[in-house]
Amino acid sequence: MFKRSNRLHALGGAMPRAGAFGRRGLLLTTAMLGLGLAQMVRGQTQTIRIGAPLPMTGALSPEGLRLKQGNDLWAETVNKAGGIKVGGSRTKVEMVYVDYQSNTPKAVQLIDKLITQDKVDFIFSPFGSGATKASSSVTEKNGVPNIAATASSVEVFDQGHKYIFGLLTPNNTLIEPTSELASARLPAHARVAVLARNDLFPTAVANELEKAVKKRGYEIVYNEKYAIGALDHAGALVQIKAAKPDWIFVSGYTNDLILVRKQMKDAGLNAPVVTMITGPSYREFVESLGPLAENVSSAVWWHPASKYVGTDIFGSTAKYVETFKARFGTEPDYANAVASLSGVVLQAAIEKAGSVDRTAVRDQLAKLKMETFFGPVAFDEKGMVNSYLPPVFQIQGGKTAVLYPPAIATGKLR
Amino acid sequence: MKLNKSVFWVIFVGSVALLTVVGDNYWLRIGTTVALYAALASSWNIIGGFTGYPSFATAAFFGLGAYASAIGQMHGIPMALAWSLAALIGGVFALLLGLGLLRLRGHYFAVASLVVAELFRELITGGGDFTGGGMGLNLALLPISSLAQARLFLLAFSALAALSALLSLWIIGSRFGVALRCIEQNEDAAAMVGVAVTRHKALALALSAVFASAAGAVYANWLNYIDPSDVFNVLLSVKPIVTALLGGVGTVVGPFAGAVALAGLEELVIKGALDLNGVFLGLAIVLLILFLPRGVMGFLSPARRARKAST
Amino acid sequence: MVFLQVLLNGLLLGGIYACIGAGFSLVWGVVNIINILHGSFIVLGGYGAWYAYTHWGVHPFVALLPLGVLGYAGGWLLQQYVIRHVMAAKVLVTLTLTFGLNLLLNNLMTFGFSADFRKVVLPSQEPISWAALTLPTDRTLSMVAAVAVVVLTHTLMTRTMLGRSIVAVRMDPQAAQLMGVDVPRTFAATFGLGTSLALIAGAILSPIFPISPVVADGYLAKAFIVCVLGGLGSLPGVLAGGVLLGVVESVGSYFLGSSHALTLSYVLLLAFLLLRPQGLMGKKGFE
Repeated sequence: MFKRSNRLHALGGAMPRAGAFGRRGLLLTTAMLGLGLAQMVRGQTQTIRIGAPLPMTGALSPEGLRLKQGNDLWAETVNKAGGIKVGGSRTKVEMVYVDYQSNTPKAVQLIDKLITQDKVDFIFSPFGSGATKASSSVTEKNGVPNIAATASSVEVFDQGHKYIFGLLTPNNTLIEPTSELASARLPAHARVAVLARNDLFPTAVANELEKAVKKRGYEIVYNEKYAIGALDHAGALVQIKAAKPDWIFVSGYTNDLILVRKQMKDAGLNAPVVTMITGPSYREFVESLGPLAENVSSAVWWHPASKYVGTDIFGSTAKYVETFKARFGTEPDYANAVASLSGVVLQAAIEKAGSVDRTAVRDQLAKLKMETFFGPVAFDEKGMVNSYLPPVFQIQGGKTAVLYPPAIATGKLR
Repeated sequence: MKLNKSVFWVIFVGSVALLTVVGDNYWLRIGTTVALYAALASSWNIIGGFTGYPSFATAAFFGLGAYASAIGQMHGIPMALAWSLAALIGGVFALLLGLGLLRLRGHYFAVASLVVAELFRELITGGGDFTGGGMGLNLALLPISSLAQARLFLLAFSALAALSALLSLWIIGSRFGVALRCIEQNEDAAAMVGVAVTRHKALALALSAVFASAAGAVYANWLNYIDPSDVFNVLLSVKPIVTALLGGVGTVVGPFAGAVALAGLEELVIKGALDLNGVFLGLAIVLLILFLPRGVMGFLSPARRARKAST
Repeated sequence: MVFLQVLLNGLLLGGIYACIGAGFSLVWGVVNIINILHGSFIVLGGYGAWYAYTHWGVHPFVALLPLGVLGYAGGWLLQQYVIRHVMAAKVLVTLTLTFGLNLLLNNLMTFGFSADFRKVVLPSQEPISWAALTLPTDRTLSMVAAVAVVVLTHTLMTRTMLGRSIVAVRMDPQAAQLMGVDVPRTFAATFGLGTSLALIAGAILSPIFPISPVVADGYLAKAFIVCVLGGLGSLPGVLAGGVLLGVVESVGSYFLGSSHALTLSYVLLLAFLLLRPQGLMGKKGFE
């Protein structure tokens, strides 16, 4: 305790010795190998197995839970109807979940395991652009169709991979309509402050905003990133306040945005237009902030107020919302919906291909054109969906008011 | 002793060969993970076990190597050359850092080495387009089949592990090794006796870093994607230490036995308890420390214990 | 004037950081254990306060009393029955043990509470304004509570028998033992106190920071830095270190942008480790 350097021997760290194996060591190693060998034998049952690595623990676990709910809802619904039509018969689906603990390399390894050991037929991507990008290499290597529910950054789909399909429209489809709507409330040479989390999606979205802002002749008076896990934004907000912006744009995840909004109030900072992506679409945002959430605008890929009618197993947005509410007791948000959409899209491709052959299904996905509860779905040549218009909304009176597209608008930007 | 060394090499080379020839992707992946842990633990041993400086900087050099290699390849450097350069860069950085860090001891050294990794992570994250920042970097897929790739990476990591073991064996028999042992037992006495303490420590750290950086470089190509929070993750510093502790710190075989045990444990836990794998890993570490203080090797070799007691 | 605001923000942060570092500093300085569990204990305190508030309407500043007591008991038991066994081993071993324990606790919390961020949502209050300066009320209150706790603990150390035996052990364990102090019990008491302070810090922070196992590492990092900057085992040191860190982060984030604030704090830490490991108050820990 007092002179640590004397206490080495307790650890056996004193004398380096080469080898000292002994028979026992051999036995132990063989036992371990044997245990592992026993795992190798497994039978195949007649189901369509879909591997879905999810962040069930760690920083992204709220997201993981949402995706699981969406996937489960689809799987249960489809199985209740007897399964997916494959050629002449119906086959049930089986979701194979693994927890990658919000750790991207683990996700990559688990996908490899799902494909090579658990012999899944298809893969649903892990959460977020970063993990999706990483997973794309593995599925491409193995020729497994990979449906990405939560990647919206073009960088993910730029690698020339043929087996990855993204269900979210590119980031600029969120930014353009938002900027257009904002411009109605902003002066000609508006001053814009941008604060982005130093992470793939939030940075990409902030980059898109910069482009949209420059296009309209606005002036960027503040443009900084904050560290992942930052607990204090006061420094940034003091600077933003000094820059007197007309439009404050913050990107990050729900918690970051809640903290920023609270500290904005503490700093006495406000602006005619305040936009945050992507927190406001979640219940927690409004619940945690109460009156502070008022007038925050945002954009998201899907909203329960949408009025789509589709040929999928859910039938329409309204029916989907109803089914989800009955099963989970809350209204679905876009993460739940897009996870269910993964199943819907895969189902359609399998049914059109008439088989679960990976290449055939992949080809059908590439050609797919269908109307769904989520909106119309069709992929571009990179595998990104480009067929629907993400809603822009604003918190008004504690509720979300949809501002765009006009077909489902329930309010105007305040 | 000679017999034991041969046994070790036979088992090592034999397993690698067996896996390469008959293993499927799943087993190749497990084997590669074992080799990676073994390489990192074995090279950590040089500074942590032989020299007695509990380095938590493994992640720092691992990430450095990964990024150096990835950025190099992005600029056209061929893969194998990029790996070698990354290893070299790691060694040089370690030498420079060591001059400062190795003046600290015990807890302070541990903390400082931990902070270096965090610092590197922040610097890379703030590196904009050059390092890919928070968005990470993608590496090109190799134009060979996925099975061939799996084999390639098993061999690459195994080669690193083998080189590290060879280096450790050489160190043990050399004057350098004797000097390190002196430093580990009582640094001040060693200095008084005339051992060039700073130089030896720095060299040990550098050698350890060379392997950590090389492993990082290979890792980047194995996964085809790296980002700062993954390659500078503190677990990459902790797992080699746990591996060495599990197998027996300061021995050559220990890191290998520990690697098999840790990788095996992780596989079992992932299978069995989806939500609780962190809990089991933590529990395993705690039980290990409390009940197996000299690691698996210490537990398995009564002969060694008897020999130790008599010295 | 803006600069003054920046300084003020730094001071606010500083008080909060001091509270985060207090328990950690005691354990490191006296028992010579780097308690990796510290961050998770803070989060546990946060959960305790959140539970008390959402289920029974108890204000976190009140909940911290029972939490403190529970923390003391839990920490005492942990030290006495688990950590004590490896006290004689190398730094490496105790560090890895607390790391393993932390993994256990952190994942159990994730399993039990899920990683969803919880918040203690107190009724919103207007910021305190004076001249052109604003002080967020909730942070100010937390900071005052934080500093009060640290000052109280310091009083405890200098005025009570328990406190004085802790200080004695910290200064020279062998001499203390010769003077009749029960060293192992004192270690247990110190660890208990450290844990208690962590849970209390968690309760104090619950109205202003989100509560989730994933933020534990961030708290641990701050605690590290505060201790090295301020000097181990010294509560005035903890206050000094906390304020220094808070001000550097605030000023750094103003001039360099907030993404670099974290880098700056690490650079500061390394600089102190290399140049002045005993910190501002000059109390060097064991090595």
